Amino acid sequence: MRIEKCYFCSGPVYPGHGVMFVRNDCKSFRFCRSKCHKNFKKKRNPRKTRWTKAFRKASGKELTVDNSLEFEKRRNIPVKYNRELWDKTVEAMKRVEEIKLKRQARFIMNRLKKGKQLEKEEAINEVKKNIHLIKAPHAGKAKQMEDKMVQKLQEDVDMEDEDN
Amino acid sequence: MALYNFKKIMVVPTAKEFIDITLSKTQRKTPTVIHKHYQIHRIRHFYMRKVKFTQQNYHDRLTQILTDFPKLDDIHPFYADLMNVLYDKDHYKLALGQINIAKNLIDNVAKDYVRLMKYGDSLYRCKQLKRAALGRMCTILKRQKSSLEYLEQVRQHLSRLPTIDPNTRTLLLCGYPNVGKSSFINKVTRADVDVQPYAFTTKSLFVGHMDYRYLRWQVVDTPGILDHPLEDRNTIEMQAITALAHLRAAVLYVMDVSEQCGHTLQEQLELFNNIRPLFANKPLIIVANKCDVKKITELSEENQKIFADLSVEGIPVIETSTLTEEGVMQVKTEACDRLLAHRVDTKMKGKKVHDVLNRLHLAMPTKRDEKERPPFIPEGALTRRKAMEVDAPKRKLERDLEMELGDDYILDLQKYWDLMNDDEKQDKIPEVWEGHNIADYIDPDIMKKLQELEKEEELKERAGEYDSDDESEDEEMQEIRVLAKQIREKKQLMVVESKEKDVHGPRMPRTATKVERKTLEKEMGNLGLDMNDKDGSHYAQQARRSRSIAKKRKREASAPPTSKTRSQSASRPPRDQSVSFLLLLILSQMKGMNRQGKKGEADRHVFDLKPKHLLAGKRKSGTTDRR
Repeated sequence: MRIEKCYFCSGPVYPGHGVMFVRNDCKSFRFCRSKCHKNFKKKRNPRKTRWTKAFRKASGKELTVDNSLEFEKRRNIPVKYNRELWDKTVEAMKRVEEIKLKRQARFIMNRLKKGKQLEKEEAINEVKKNIHLIKAPHAGKAKQMEDKMVQKLQEDVDMEDEDN
Repeated sequence: MALYNFKKIMVVPTAKEFIDITLSKTQRKTPTVIHKHYQIHRIRHFYMRKVKFTQQNYHDRLTQILTDFPKLDDIHPFYADLMNVLYDKDHYKLALGQINIAKNLIDNVAKDYVRLMKYGDSLYRCKQLKRAALGRMCTILKRQKSSLEYLEQVRQHLSRLPTIDPNTRTLLLCGYPNVGKSSFINKVTRADVDVQPYAFTTKSLFVGHMDYRYLRWQVVDTPGILDHPLEDRNTIEMQAITALAHLRAAVLYVMDVSEQCGHTLQEQLELFNNIRPLFANKPLIIVANKCDVKKITELSEENQKIFADLSVEGIPVIETSTLTEEGVMQVKTEACDRLLAHRVDTKMKGKKVHDVLNRLHLAMPTKRDEKERPPFIPEGALTRRKAMEVDAPKRKLERDLEMELGDDYILDLQKYWDLMNDDEKQDKIPEVWEGHNIADYIDPDIMKKLQELEKEEELKERAGEYDSDDESEDEEMQEIRVLAKQIREKKQLMVVESKEKDVHGPRMPRTATKVERKTLEKEMGNLGLDMNDKDGSHYAQQARRSRSIAKKRKREASAPPTSKTRSQSASRPPRDQSVSFLLLLILSQMKGMNRQGKKGEADRHVFDLKPKHLLAGKRKSGTTDRR
């Protein structure tokens, strides 16, 4: 029992799902669902179809070169069953998965940092240009002026009192 | 000598079928259309062709039958005798002879009528001749009905005869009925012959094959023979006698020691002596069967003497029991060895041997020193050789295990695995975890690689790669964000509002509509201005003033007070004060056109600026306002 990879979207194909197509040159293609199958029949290039993993990796949107990705690969030399090796492998696998996820998340975060910067600038611009839609320019100014005048008057009175 | 294959004899049709087939073939395969105005030679040729065609067909088929059926002189005397026994040589030859005669007669008929056809002068005459010819041929064949039926039955039976090769190594079983011949053959070969308690269960010869010493052996089972003279024997027994007479085989005379077959040992001995002449030149073994019931040593004196006599004469007597399988292998090996020796002897005495012997030369190297150099036989080969001879049970087979356990049996192939620790053989190996194949991760160096990875990870963490970089934004930035959000929401609201406005018609400037004081104050309040106590403001005063003026103006008019909204222009005269019907019509038209923004009557909207019927298509004769 193996979980294969879909040729088009690189998603998992569980046993009992999907379609396998074998071409006359003996190359076989597995598809996880009819969406991928139909796209393939339309001769679309998965590297150019934006929603596929192949596109994301090819256009640098996801982590491609990393040591944690070297653990999961199909090896052609079979290894004889050995209980302790299998146990260790299962545990190692879990740890590798953690590290891999962390690194992938970090990669994407870095990529999106620039976006955050742009967002900030945009907010500032927006506020600068269109603040009048929310707040009238002299919104609290009348009150302010009143307060100031009251204060000034108070000061004058105080000064007069002092003089006197 | 033609090579006969009894299984490939052509089917012999019945007379009626034969006639039908041939006539319909004539009808289909020869031309059918003829008219009487054709030239006479053409008519003659047409009918002659039909006659010849029919004759040809009959001739071909009958010849094939004659060649397919074996000539009794041409086949091995064993088969010739067997066929004689089964089908009666005379009858067989007669039937074939009749067929031959029929064939010749048909040929003659055809010849005659073709000759006659040459003198036919009209279509009618030729047609009658043809009818006569065909009719005669068919009658000839109808007379052969019984021969054809007989030959068909012979053919069917012949094709079901067992293929006994008369020249190869054969073991022949004979004896009284019910002594255990069929059980013996069942045990020794893979044959599955009927074994029943009544006599003459086996009614014909049966063949089984077995292997011994890397050679193929035939074992022939015969029906039982009773003790009476040759002339009184029936067909079934005769088959056994034929086999005995013609096959060069080792004879296994099976006797029933326990006399369960219904015949005493004396009778069996009598029979043995009677058919003794048939055993000349054949290695003979006496098989004392059913020894599980009674052993020779348990017999009476005289009976034991019989066996003793036989052994004295040089014929081995071997006790067997097909039930318990003791002695069966011994019989087999003894018989096979003797037969082989006999065959070798015969070959040596013959003439062909010298050709072969002249070409054979065994080279013996001259001895270098006195050291003995025996041939090296590995242990495995020796044990296997021994096992072959003794035919002891080998290691316990899976099949034996299956039989033992019956319903509980489970095929467990994992026990043959070659692992480092044997107790891991029954482990359930995990294959998949959370969408990953475990087999993809299996690597003898995985722990090393994992350690390196952990080191890397540590380094990265220390370098601060994984610190979350949410710099705490200062309050100002947070405020800005909130405001920006509000601004965006307000913008969206404004867009929605403007979409909801009704713009079918001329758009009035903003100043045409009067703004309510309430809405103004509410809006400005939302924007943050202080709108309390604004009675003294300019807009409030203006509102009060305009209201009073409008009221005064109304009272001046002499017309009775009508309820009109303030927004209506006061310069227009009231409705009933004027207007002729015509003017009314014109005005209503103008209203419509005003609504749609048209200048006047001639201002028409062209719905289709580029009509297809004027601009597409070939330009043949005609104008472009209609094509």
